[in-house]
Amino acid sequence: MKKFLCSVIIIVLCLAGCAYSDKKVLDPENPVVINMWHNYGGEMQTTMDYLIDQFNGTVGKEEGIVINVTAISSSSELNKSLDMIVNDDPGAPDMPDIFTGYPKVAIQFQRKGMLADLKNYFTEEELEVYVDAFVEEGILDDGGLYVFPVAKSTEILYINRTLFDRFAKETGASYDDFSTFEGIAKLSKDYYLWTDAKTPGVANDGKQFFTADSWFNVAEVAMEQLGDSIFDEEGHVSPEGENYRYIFENFYWPAVEGGVAIHNGYSSDLSKTGDIVCSTGSSAGILFYGDTITYPDGTVEQAEYDMLPYPVFEGGRNIALQRGGGLMVAKTDEKTELAASVFIKWFADAEQNMKFISRTGYLPVTKQAFEEDMALHIEDMEEGSIKKMLTAVFSMYDGWEFFTAPNTVDFDDESSAYEQQFKEVLNKERAGFLNGEEISPETAFDKLKSM
Amino acid sequence: MSMLKQALSLWKNERNKKGTTLQRRLILFFICVTVSLVLAFSLLLMIFGITGKEERALHNFFDTELANIADNISDDFGSLSVDGINLAESMSAHANNFFDENDISAGDFLSRPELIEPMLSEQAHLLISMVNGRSCGGAFVLLDTTINPEGDNAEFARSGIFIKKTQPTSTQAVGVKMYYLRGPAQIARENNIELLGQWKMEYDTADQHFFADVLEQARQNPDLPLSRLYYWTGRVTLKDNSEAGFLLCVPLRSKDGTVFGLCGIEVSDRMFKSLYSPASDKYENAFAIAAPKGDDCIKTSSGIIAGNYYLTGNRMYEDLKYGEGISSFESFASSDINYGGKNVGIRLYPSDSPYETDRWEVAVLMHEKALQDAVSGNDKYLIVIIAILLLLSILSSVVISHHYLKPVTTAFESVRTNGYSDMDTMPYLEINDLFDFLAQRDREREEEFKQLESRHNDTKEEMAKARTRLSHLIDKKKKEVDPESYRLFLTSLKTLTKKEREVFELYMEGKSAKDIVDILGITENTLKFHNKNLYGKLGVNSRKELLLYAQIMREENKL
Repeated sequence: MKKFLCSVIIIVLCLAGCAYSDKKVLDPENPVVINMWHNYGGEMQTTMDYLIDQFNGTVGKEEGIVINVTAISSSSELNKSLDMIVNDDPGAPDMPDIFTGYPKVAIQFQRKGMLADLKNYFTEEELEVYVDAFVEEGILDDGGLYVFPVAKSTEILYINRTLFDRFAKETGASYDDFSTFEGIAKLSKDYYLWTDAKTPGVANDGKQFFTADSWFNVAEVAMEQLGDSIFDEEGHVSPEGENYRYIFENFYWPAVEGGVAIHNGYSSDLSKTGDIVCSTGSSAGILFYGDTITYPDGTVEQAEYDMLPYPVFEGGRNIALQRGGGLMVAKTDEKTELAASVFIKWFADAEQNMKFISRTGYLPVTKQAFEEDMALHIEDMEEGSIKKMLTAVFSMYDGWEFFTAPNTVDFDDESSAYEQQFKEVLNKERAGFLNGEEISPETAFDKLKSM
Repeated sequence: MSMLKQALSLWKNERNKKGTTLQRRLILFFICVTVSLVLAFSLLLMIFGITGKEERALHNFFDTELANIADNISDDFGSLSVDGINLAESMSAHANNFFDENDISAGDFLSRPELIEPMLSEQAHLLISMVNGRSCGGAFVLLDTTINPEGDNAEFARSGIFIKKTQPTSTQAVGVKMYYLRGPAQIARENNIELLGQWKMEYDTADQHFFADVLEQARQNPDLPLSRLYYWTGRVTLKDNSEAGFLLCVPLRSKDGTVFGLCGIEVSDRMFKSLYSPASDKYENAFAIAAPKGDDCIKTSSGIIAGNYYLTGNRMYEDLKYGEGISSFESFASSDINYGGKNVGIRLYPSDSPYETDRWEVAVLMHEKALQDAVSGNDKYLIVIIAILLLLSILSSVVISHHYLKPVTTAFESVRTNGYSDMDTMPYLEINDLFDFLAQRDREREEEFKQLESRHNDTKEEMAKARTRLSHLIDKKKKEVDPESYRLFLTSLKTLTKKEREVFELYMEGKSAKDIVDILGITENTLKFHNKNLYGKLGVNSRKELLLYAQIMREENKL
């Protein structure tokens, strides 16, 4: 009788336990829909769509999770909407359950208790799988993990080899000059003069040689290379000091004379039309460069691209920017947060991570993928732009230092303001130069400081 | 069959001869009852519609989803057609102004490549507005001219703009990102639109004849308004593009009637999938497809698929021919896969359009196997349950019969061994009554037996007395005959022939000479011959002496 009673009690307790845990765990019969925003658009969207479909059809189906992408846009566009959400602006859209973003965005949400601490869903052992530096980047003041790394990138130098070879053949320009910003500035001036000379009857119609996707990134990294910082003690953007002046002046004359493009947009757009020869930009932008040059008359030329490590100012340290945000999870209910964390684990897993990075140009985030799989993967890859890019990037990870922008609330506004002001000043100087006005880097620098 | 009948007949004969056991009869009876009950249960399930429920639910699903999706596609494509026509009219109006400002005709424009970019620069705003303003995969304009008439591919190169949208069904809640797929790069820069990796300045229409076909159709029907000249392509992928879609093409016509290009709107794979997927909560394998209709097929290779979250891929590589129905659903077959579901035709063009006879089909389908699985669904389980019920019924019939009859068989056994009088009271009253009856009868028989035994003893005593008397009688007769002659008689019996022995035996039985002649079928002379030999061998002189010896011998044998 005692045995019977014990058995009954055990069964009842088990059933009660099951009933309790069912409320917590995911239920394939009643899937939870996770609304997602991400910035993997354009060329990357096909890969992202494929992976999400794959998740929904496999792990998602088994666990009862459906990833529903409700917004795909650029980081800046998403940030605008996220700003509205965090400030509870009228007309703000509903907060997505999971979204891509940078730690600086996460800070605002975290301070208002709107983000889930992912440490609650990852064990120490699970986190050890990921590159330490990438994980640390997503840990905010309170020690919680709010931005989970899924894909990283750095900045590299893209070179249109087809155009450069043509230029080098006639002028003897050296590839070695691409290793420094000073060398690039010199090449820019030479290239402008060389192209301008092609049409002796038309003045000032030389071609641009170099541009940067982000002039702010150039400034902040270059300052670090020179042992300085563009940020003041409070973390605000402060373009001052001799080192900054040196950086500014390096690009001033090439920009004013026309060899450096001050362009509102991505360098890949100029590259496709042969309007520049080289540029600095995210390694993840590789897919946007294409493999042709289309000239205004409609003729199309095949183009070969080379990718080199990020340029360094002479005498500076080998420092490059570490880019790429991560995924954040809204603080909602346990079931939704758990479902989002399951997706993140799957997406950041070495297998999926390699699929994603090999088709998009991002860098992996797991130690295994980063330290082992990647090298093998590069060896096995077909010759092409992505292989060249990854080779360049991995040569940088051997001995380079990587700089991560500070996670301050005002960072976005201040960096955007700098970008805009820098371009405005140089475009005006360029216009003044073309108009024959008296211009100088000193006055331009003062204008920039006063803005 | 005849063998079966023979076997049945043999079994019946055998059974009638031997009879059948009580237990077997009871089991058969129980099985008949329970099987009847199970069959009645199944009948009730059918009458109340529990079987076949899945098939009806599937019909309901297909009907509802097909009606919704077909209506939505019809409405949305209609609305897109209207927007496309409006776009074409606006673009044509802008173009007319452009031609006026430049003091040229539309025909002149087509041979002035340097005017293409300025013209497109103006048209770009209309496209951007269209892309921003409604659900679509993108919007485009194509001019029937190229920027490089001397180029290698001038025959097929066409200038224009194609703007793609990252979120085809965006509600504007989050900023929509646009990408530039085709068009002069400078126009993209002016409008801060990023160039896609697959960007090309011009269209390559070499493998995409629908552009030329739409222009040609418009030229052949100068009197038809634009609202009658729009055309929906099947699923097409622009050269080097990664995403495909249906393209609405509306001709651009100047005020002098020159058809100088076309514009339109794209329904991309992604848009179609996000808008027209069937509900996935129950039948996750179901998908919708819209495609042009062929003579005996749906041209699914030119269609787009909208599946649920679990279906990847947006296209079929083969057309689906109409086939034999699967259950009560329509069937569609490619070379290696069959699908089942329902389809309905939709009209995309007005009655006086040159494309009036072009028909489209919308279908909601499932893979044949998935459909059959879904149809059998619960019925399969019901059949299994009924089979299990039947099996349990038979088993329980056997077990119950066994338990029910156990006291009876025990009783039979005890009757057989006469042990029922020692048994405890049985659970069945009838058996107890039977046992009482048998016990009573046993007692009566015992009494009879005792009486018979007494009679038997009396008889035995009488027999003993008779034997004694007989002994005395034999002794008396022996004294009448010569003992030596009687011994000779006994020993000589062995020397008789077979026939003589037969005659002797018949005499011993008291038969007369006449009887013996009849019995043996011999003549009297023959008998006399045998008698003579008989008497000689046995040492008797007469038949009387023979019979006397024989009687003494018989009496001795009795003692």
